[in-house]
Amino acid sequence: MHELQSEPAPDASSQPRKRGRAIVVTSGKGGVGKTTTTANLGTALALGGATVALVDADVGLRNLDIVLGLEARVRNHVLDVLEGRVTLDDALINDKRVPTLRLLAAAQTREKDDVDTPAMQALIDSLRDRFDYVLIDCPAGIEKGFTNAIVGADEAIIVCTPEVAAVRDADRVVGLLGNRASIKLIVNRLRPELVRRGKMLSVEDVNAILRLPLLGVIADEPGVIIATNKGEPLVLDESSSAGAAYRAIAGRIAGTDTSAPEIPLPPTLLQKLGSFFGGRR
Amino acid sequence: MSARRIVLTSGKGGVGKTTTTANLGAALAKRGKRVVLVDADIGLRNLDLVLGLEKRIVFDLVEVVEGRCQLRQALIKDKRFQALSILPAAQTRDKTAVSETQFAAVVDGLEGFADYILIDCPAGIEHGFRNAVAGASEAIVVTTPEVSAIRDADRVIGKLNERSLPIRLIVNRIRPEMVRSGDMMSVDDVVDILGVKLLGMIPDDEEVIDTTNRGEPIVLTPDSRLGEIYEKIARRLDGEHVPFTALTAPGLFGRLFGARKAG
Repeated sequence: MHELQSEPAPDASSQPRKRGRAIVVTSGKGGVGKTTTTANLGTALALGGATVALVDADVGLRNLDIVLGLEARVRNHVLDVLEGRVTLDDALINDKRVPTLRLLAAAQTREKDDVDTPAMQALIDSLRDRFDYVLIDCPAGIEKGFTNAIVGADEAIIVCTPEVAAVRDADRVVGLLGNRASIKLIVNRLRPELVRRGKMLSVEDVNAILRLPLLGVIADEPGVIIATNKGEPLVLDESSSAGAAYRAIAGRIAGTDTSAPEIPLPPTLLQKLGSFFGGRR
Repeated sequence: MSARRIVLTSGKGGVGKTTTTANLGAALAKRGKRVVLVDADIGLRNLDLVLGLEKRIVFDLVEVVEGRCQLRQALIKDKRFQALSILPAAQTRDKTAVSETQFAAVVDGLEGFADYILIDCPAGIEHGFRNAVAGASEAIVVTTPEVSAIRDADRVIGKLNERSLPIRLIVNRIRPEMVRSGDMMSVDDVVDILGVKLLGMIPDDEEVIDTTNRGEPIVLTPDSRLGEIYEKIARRLDGEHVPFTALTAPGLFGRLFGARKAG
């Protein structure tokens, strides 16, 4: 059994142990926005003053470090901790912008089968003693990487896009999550204009199948690609509507925002003209 | 002549492996080739949905492996094409239900049925990936012009190199406008980073969302820009010399009114 060093955070040595919330962000299907969602929710929760640890569970194909712009700072990773080469403190990377946000990166040159599931659970447990939130970025699929990502979490966020394939995979994952205390839904990459023209599933269509409490809806915007490439989460951009939607979701998770999720509507012709002429560089 | 066995893989999920498998398969079948598409995503199958064949599944790949049906019984013929069939994955089983050797043996069994065997690989580089690759003698890596997708593709290319599989690249979901404004990497950038030979480039087009939801291959849509692109890729794959044409951004009219017919 792996004994984890449960050294207290430098600023928390005299405080009692926390019992933070461990939330896995998962989907089944890849490329629906799990990593983007993890980065944005983590940043938003930390901006609200909470202490947040983000855990990249995608051993071998890590990307959370890139989305946060921290790839150059990764020195140690989850497996270094699990295999006792470094302490948790040595592996937690400080975020560049938000002081209460930490990243635990995945190993890039190892396999998911190298991760011992009970050890992963112990690791998440020890993070919960030190952070208000532990968000776990789950890999695509439902293999060993999925098992390791969900083992320590008692809450789950399902990210789904309005596509039949994504809905089918999400439904399968909900079945595998079993009796978690909370399983909630984020519908990502909605294109209201396509929904209006009947070319895309609506949020209602998606949730008619999944039947989960809706945490929020994010409209598709090219800004997400730019933000990923730059390594700057959109919640830091006041002008981004996706950023605003993520901030609202973080508020709902923290319980500070009790408003119902807004479903984005198609832009009016005037708005389209405005964004066309105003959006040119 | 023996069948060409090609795995479509990416590392990252959601970059368009399944859509590309379905449409490339349909385009090859349209050219008169006998094509079998194999869904290697056991537990999270989707190739059947993208082709609208989900209601016709009786047997699946795992049942073939376990000897509960003949390979021929598990193949679903796509009625829209002369020579396109799919071998569906099991939905309620794990990827570990099939070993690499068993997967390769199933693909061996398809030899007599096909000129092309296209294997739709699951996301990731776990057991499901190893199975899909075990059945292949060539690979198509699908990626999008995003840092995270390219990093994953690079990792997968390393794994394919270990097995000495010839690799070609499809860059999917390109937004020419964003490339022009410097907000997206160009295809040349992607090819430079990954160092593999380009097979095709596909623009981001909402047509895909709609046809995927309806279970209809794009090559069946008359005058479709994307359909034409898939047909060109199929010809290239088939050994024809087809020059690459630059992707163009939709004009003012297209942007304002959402008209999809681009040049």
